[in-house]
Amino acid sequence: MLPIRKYAKGLAAGAVLGIAALSSSMAQAADPIKFGMCYDLSKSYTFITPQIVQAVRDLAELTNMKGGIDGHPIELIVQDHGNEPQRGIECYEKLKREGVFIFDMLSTPVSIAVLPRIMSDKNILLQSLVGRGDAIDGSVFSQIFPVGPTYWGQIANDIEYVRQTHNGSLKGVKIAFVYVDYPFGQEPIEILKTLAAKEGFELGLFPYPLPGSDQSSAWTQIRKFQPDAIVSWSLAKMHVVASREMKRNGIPMDKYISVNWLNEIDITNIGPAEAKGLKRGTNVAGGQDVPIVKEIIAELYDKGKGNGDRAKLNDVYYNTGLAIYSVAFEAARLAVEKGGWPLNAEKMKVGFESLKNYDANGLFAPVTVTAEDHGGGGKTRIEMWDGEKWVPQTDWIGAYNDVVWEVVKKSSKSFKTE
Amino acid sequence: MDWIFLAELSVNGALTGLLYSLFAIGLVLVYKSSSVPNLAQGALTMLGAYVVLAFSIQLGVPLWLAIPVAIVIMFFVGLGIEKVALRRLAGRPIVMILMMTLGLDIFIRGSTLAVWGGTSRPMELGVSYDPFFAGPLLLSRINMVGAAVSVALFVAFIFFFRSRLGIRLRAISDDYMASWSVGISVERGVGLSWALASVVAVITGVIWGEIQSVDQSLSLLLLKGLTVAVLGGLDSILGAVLAGILLGIVENVGSAYLDPIVGGGSRDLLVAIVLILTVMVRPHGLFGRHDIERV
Repeated sequence: MLPIRKYAKGLAAGAVLGIAALSSSMAQAADPIKFGMCYDLSKSYTFITPQIVQAVRDLAELTNMKGGIDGHPIELIVQDHGNEPQRGIECYEKLKREGVFIFDMLSTPVSIAVLPRIMSDKNILLQSLVGRGDAIDGSVFSQIFPVGPTYWGQIANDIEYVRQTHNGSLKGVKIAFVYVDYPFGQEPIEILKTLAAKEGFELGLFPYPLPGSDQSSAWTQIRKFQPDAIVSWSLAKMHVVASREMKRNGIPMDKYISVNWLNEIDITNIGPAEAKGLKRGTNVAGGQDVPIVKEIIAELYDKGKGNGDRAKLNDVYYNTGLAIYSVAFEAARLAVEKGGWPLNAEKMKVGFESLKNYDANGLFAPVTVTAEDHGGGGKTRIEMWDGEKWVPQTDWIGAYNDVVWEVVKKSSKSFKTE
Repeated sequence: MDWIFLAELSVNGALTGLLYSLFAIGLVLVYKSSSVPNLAQGALTMLGAYVVLAFSIQLGVPLWLAIPVAIVIMFFVGLGIEKVALRRLAGRPIVMILMMTLGLDIFIRGSTLAVWGGTSRPMELGVSYDPFFAGPLLLSRINMVGAAVSVALFVAFIFFFRSRLGIRLRAISDDYMASWSVGISVERGVGLSWALASVVAVITGVIWGEIQSVDQSLSLLLLKGLTVAVLGGLDSILGAVLAGILLGIVENVGSAYLDPIVGGGSRDLLVAIVLILTVMVRPHGLFGRHDIERV
């Protein structure tokens, strides 16, 4: 009996492996689902694009190993646009001719530049974390999917955190907003002013010019302002300069709340010990203690099949890439499930608008996308660097939605008339 | 009026301005010999900082040794650029040389991105960022270090231009043809000025790298550095130093009072106004030679 049972087990294992291999090879043979990633691989966004591209390649490979999406493999087409709107449009037009209808520009100026064409062509633009904040208004921007928080939602959540840490009232509280004097940095100001009037806190605005190397004047003024909290809209090395200025001016690091664009490399450059107490508003769960990251490590990196440097897996931008494309792949799956094959932009839109309480493999706060709300909720959370790791300070927050949507509607209305 | 606040803004502005002077000195060195603003000086500054980090981080050489090694390497890089790229342009229109420096800028930025990527890296000189008070004024230690280096370089170049070699460079700067006719090797002189500008680029890259970390954005120092050099007079090292101080004070103090009124953005506006007024009213700058004309 024993040899027969052993033989049967071997046969069953072989059959399972065979089916897995067959489904994988079927996924390779079937028509692919193409994602056009026109990214800035050479200029302003290079502080995030390598990590995000690596994450998306890993996730696509893992998905394809499991048979793709309904048997169709994912194909990523990555091209450089150097953060130049014209090159972004060229990339869009080229990939459109190649049959791509799902695009991602990961750049605010390029996303804004291609948006009218995408709308007119009825294609799909993934626009998470960049681009026009009012694009979450699905009633106006029907083809644009900025799933996840906008800068407007994020700043509102930051203010909510300050409110929570001041016994639930912001009356008499001083909040300094330090920002790079550029559209990215200026974006939250309207929401901040509205919230200052609503909640009664004193708002101080402290701009510094690009490229952000010289912030001494801003920080001298912040010291004079004596804020209770400092919210910073800065990128990459600008945080390093800010941390130096804070120390020089004797301002405690725990007052600093950064926008989500602060990663582990910035912490290394600031100095892990020096950065202790620093906070950031984050859109995604960081670190490797996330099932999807563990699976990628086990299935790809431990087997030498990773799509880049293993060290980048510790970077929050890696998780950001996984989160954005977990949403996109899930939307594609729902699109095929609801509309069948062949997939097209119209079905993809339905797929996105069918997302309900989807947590992007545990990386986002659960998002529900509707025809009206293409952002899906816009929740963020605050986490603090404790000298060695990020420690969440709050649960996922989605505050002042009425204020945010008021600004969204006002802004999107102007797009209708543009 | 809060006079202490005003004084602190002025002193810190002057110190920051001297950091831009450090950059501008490199521009002046090339201009003195080639009569062309070197648009690749920002990229050279970034390259110098990357070379230092390549030795200190990738090869494990101590920073105090990596800096002089990088200086020597960049000295020869400067010589090489002149020999390979610029010598064959002798006698061509100035605009062609200008375009060559622009091409070099793009080439260096692209190459460094390919080799070292876009991730920023720390330059750890070990300068303390603890508060430092001079009386009631809170000053920046790294800015003081940078300002001291800038002044030291200025003094060193004053002596250099009084040496035999320096006088040759001044002669080349005064008149190419006359220098040739008396047997001065103009090519070597121009090469030396590029080499010295590359050395200055390393020093600038190290100081600014400590302040902001090392990445592609170091090359953007060109814009402010060029403004300082134009204000001071493109061929005057003294002008570069004094213009740095002046511009630093104007933008630091001006923006502190104007930003709250205009809602931000006044700092760049002030720099632009200074640049435009300089070109309109005094095209040769504060200390430049009068024979510099607008083209």
